[in-house]
Amino acid sequence: MKPNCRRICDLLAQYADGTLPEAQRGDVQRHLDACPPCRVIAGKECGARQLLRACADRLRAEPLPPDLRTRCQALAGGQTTTRAWLRPSIRFAIAALLIVFVGALLSIVTRQSDALLAAQLTADHIKCFGLFRPAEGKTLDAEQAQRLLSERFGLDVHVPPSSGQEDLSLLNARTCLYADGRIPHLMYEANGQDLSLFVLEGETRAPAELTAFGHHTRIWSRGGNTFVLITPAAEESVADAARYVAAEAH
Amino acid sequence: MLRRSSPAPSNAEDFSAEALQFLEPLFATAMRLTRNRADAEDLVQDTFVKAFRHAGQFKPGTNLRAWLYTILHNTWRNRRRDASRDTVEVDSEQVEQAASGAAGGEPVETPERILMRSTLDADLQAALDELPGAFRQAVWLRDVEEFTYAEIAEMLSVPIGTVMSRISRGRRMLFEKLSTGTASSAAASSGTASSGTASAPVVPVTADAAGSHQ
Repeated sequence: MKPNCRRICDLLAQYADGTLPEAQRGDVQRHLDACPPCRVIAGKECGARQLLRACADRLRAEPLPPDLRTRCQALAGGQTTTRAWLRPSIRFAIAALLIVFVGALLSIVTRQSDALLAAQLTADHIKCFGLFRPAEGKTLDAEQAQRLLSERFGLDVHVPPSSGQEDLSLLNARTCLYADGRIPHLMYEANGQDLSLFVLEGETRAPAELTAFGHHTRIWSRGGNTFVLITPAAEESVADAARYVAAEAH
Repeated sequence: MLRRSSPAPSNAEDFSAEALQFLEPLFATAMRLTRNRADAEDLVQDTFVKAFRHAGQFKPGTNLRAWLYTILHNTWRNRRRDASRDTVEVDSEQVEQAASGAAGGEPVETPERILMRSTLDADLQAALDELPGAFRQAVWLRDVEEFTYAEIAEMLSVPIGTVMSRISRGRRMLFEKLSTGTASSAAASSGTASSGTASAPVVPVTADAAGSHQ
């Protein structure tokens, strides 16, 4: 490309959307009249601009997921009554995350313990239910969740479906902050209590049960993956649902 | 949807209501960033979490819409960084080269003919989604959302010159995909080559030039 053509091409973005000052616009127009190759390039840029402007409103009209507005409004509600970060669940999550951060530093020199894993995932459990609880009555189909795990993480995991018998509902599937957001987090509700199932792919651990931040953590491995189930401690009402999830997940 | 520069919301409730008016376009933009509904949903939610948390940092009299879009793009960049994927910078360096190599083909259809397509919206969306991320973001923010170059530079954290160059090249690539039917959903509807005198809005699209101009 000739130096003059290069100079003109640098102005084409503004030329195509009509923001180029008049003096330069004349310059560009004269060059285009005399330079067919630059005219082809300008034609493409103007053409794309024209098409995008013609369709802009329709392109922006992406249908919203059914309850996204409700959830965002709920976030705003937290801010207008008490500021979001002052809510007890969030303060608790911040405290938990601070402890986890200290734990994470220790884990650099020692193998990550079950206690640290439980603390990290409990913090994520609290954070996710604090911020991303789906609207009342919204549940997620287990097959849909399985597809999501397969597409997003390449994981072939059987997701325990909602169960009327256990009063258990699958609410949502997200990514967990732990391990750079590469761990799937399945959010359930059982008898009005929050319950989380995390899957650590390709990791095997000895079975363990422990308590962190007022939550009970159960860790077990099956089929080369580790499962971590988190429920509120001292909540007998979720014991049946927890047993059901543990039996179903594989 | 609103396109105005937002005045300073007088209190937290006004701020929230004002911010939530931009939910739809923010979601559409998140869709073009992530190309996945579940990720777009998460991204928009995280954007509002941050916006409401940092509402006090919003400068009254400045543009709330641009402020929200900046948060959206920062959140997206941080996510990509956290997930140890390609950074935008590396991505763009590679694609800038790819784009300059791909900018020489002669279009076979005119904007007017493309506008007549019944599949235009789907074709455009497919062509946009096939653009490298750095170009897709710049073109979307300018031609669909109509932000200024300076606003886009702030949102994408790159100099204005880079914004212009990405918009320029992104538009060329997009038009080539549409006019030659290389965008996946456009393949079926293209194929009728136009004559050499068709016109773009300002200059002829197909001039009597050779395609390559490197």
